[in-house]
Amino acid sequence: MPKALKLTFTLVGAAVLGMAALADSLPPDATYRPLPTLPLGQVRANDEAEKPLVAQRQQTLLQQRYDLSDRPIPDVMMSGLRKPVQGGVRVKLPAGVTWDSLADMSPDEIRQRGLLPAGFRPLPHVKQATGGQVFPNNEIDEIGRQEQRNLRRFDVDFDFPDRFTPEFPPPIFLTSHPELGDVSHGQLLTIKNYYQLMVGLITPVQMEGLRLLLTPFPQEEFNQTEDRKSADQSLGVTCLDCHANFHTNAAFHLTPDVRPQAARFRLDTVSLRGLFNQQLHGSKRSLRSVEDFTQFEQRTAYFNGDHVSAQRKGVHLPDRFDQVPMMAQMQNMIDFPPAPKLDPTGHLDPTKATAQELAGEQVFLGKGHCAQCHVPQTSFLDNNMHDLKLERFYDIGQTENGLVMLPDGPIKTFTLRGIKDSPPYMHDGRLLTLADTVEFFNLVLGLKLTQDEKDALVAYMLTL
Amino acid sequence: MIRLFAVTFLASLLVGPASGQQANPASPAPSNPGGMPAGTREQAPGVPAPHQTNDADRIFIHAAAIGGLAEVDAAKLAAKKGGRRVQEFAQRMIHDHAAANDRLSALATAESIPLPDRLDDEHSTMRDKLEQASGTQFDRTYIEGQITDHQKTAQLLEYEIGSGENADLKKLASDILPTVLDHLRMAQMINSESSQAAERAPR
Repeated sequence: MPKALKLTFTLVGAAVLGMAALADSLPPDATYRPLPTLPLGQVRANDEAEKPLVAQRQQTLLQQRYDLSDRPIPDVMMSGLRKPVQGGVRVKLPAGVTWDSLADMSPDEIRQRGLLPAGFRPLPHVKQATGGQVFPNNEIDEIGRQEQRNLRRFDVDFDFPDRFTPEFPPPIFLTSHPELGDVSHGQLLTIKNYYQLMVGLITPVQMEGLRLLLTPFPQEEFNQTEDRKSADQSLGVTCLDCHANFHTNAAFHLTPDVRPQAARFRLDTVSLRGLFNQQLHGSKRSLRSVEDFTQFEQRTAYFNGDHVSAQRKGVHLPDRFDQVPMMAQMQNMIDFPPAPKLDPTGHLDPTKATAQELAGEQVFLGKGHCAQCHVPQTSFLDNNMHDLKLERFYDIGQTENGLVMLPDGPIKTFTLRGIKDSPPYMHDGRLLTLADTVEFFNLVLGLKLTQDEKDALVAYMLTL
Repeated sequence: MIRLFAVTFLASLLVGPASGQQANPASPAPSNPGGMPAGTREQAPGVPAPHQTNDADRIFIHAAAIGGLAEVDAAKLAAKKGGRRVQEFAQRMIHDHAAANDRLSALATAESIPLPDRLDDEHSTMRDKLEQASGTQFDRTYIEGQITDHQKTAQLLEYEIGSGENADLKKLASDILPTVLDHLRMAQMINSESSQAAERAPR
């Protein structure tokens, strides 16, 4: 054998040995969804028996973190006038500190003394190991009534009290008919009523898009296999089951973008209002068009980042050139609720706003640094993702109700237009009120706002 | 006699209350009954009886034991051969991992799972490299190996927390994960400091 060739063989051999010497990797179910091992009947019996305990664990956690009492802000309703907006700071403080004393400490000191309020930390799913979509009862009941389709899971229920979710059904505002205001007629859009509600208001293209957005397709927890979590075989879920009336009903899920399961953070459904001005889609994926998002979510059985499992349950592959644009064009017609105190540039009209709201706007634009990302002129968006680096304030890797709390990394900026209509707040819904968000950013950005400034900021956000 | 008492006492500590029956969110969370192995004994519907393990538990014990063994082994070498920062880090590894290894081996004994008693190929290769290296080269090799090992361990612990069945093992995994991530952060810091120092050094 020529010497050079022999040397090559030796080197290749060494490389192969080097590869072989690598330790074994984690098993496939660290990334892929495992196949169920037990018959559905047995899984269901176990899940149902565990359900009260599962609910109790999550309620204990919520009680430890938040004041869940009914304290609406006087005379402030959501845009459809169907639900009052809850007020006050609801995140509980650790013993021995005040919001001001906390704001005076450095991130290191807060981390070392374990003083970050628990409600500021990532919020677990009700049942992290299983995860999946969980719908609020109002959505479940209305879909059951109109479509006889079952969105109730036998293993978990929705966790937050109804008062901390958006009004239901939410109003619908069309960019193509601003003069009409809310066109929902107080109803939840479903496959049963959409035509009757929308004929004469939208184009044939939009109508077909709407039909697809309201048509159920198989989803990880709602399908015909033994891996489902609904008692009966299910046709699946629709886009608007979570984005109720193109807004949100606070249905939640786990992020599709992280593995293993214990590290997947919770996701609160985002509103689709103002989608026409939003250029990033998906809290972490930064998909660049609503067409990309719409097509892809059909591919992975809605939001699990798992095309393999979706394939087994039945995927819907909408045609990119025909169906996807129609779904996208319908979504792009959805407007924000009216904000009569804002001028066309997104600033308060001083002839209409109160002194406190105007003061709040000044904090928003200045000391609060809010407008650096929530730019008024571009629908309070900057079409960017940012990392707040909350891990400066707590020791990462702690486990609560099955969720391993880790740094979130960059998350997209969400709009603040119509923000009073979409509690709970942050990508995982960990904050219940706007006052909570003010305390959160006061700490995370080191703003040192006074109580007057905090109150003014809340008053300002209620006008958006 | 004293030894028997100690073992019994230890076992009683390990069994503890039936974790699945607590509403405490800090205790191990229930798993998806869909993934429970057929034939699992249950103390309540969906809650595995104590002293049972699934595949994830057994993979976890094996990998964690090898990792722990290699960790202490490498750290003892680094405590002798490393620079000052590396020696401090290695002392911390010896201390923290010895404690975790003891807890793991007590649990493995309680669950009658045999533990590996020697290094796997990957760690033996690393051991050889470390024995041959010296000075800055040693520090660099050791810390880079530590970063990889702690990354892998963190993922392994997260996997066990989500997929394991044995409540005691899941509790162990969630107890030590913050420390492992802290070690990772320390190793990354030493690595970036030494690479910055190298950039500043005259060539």
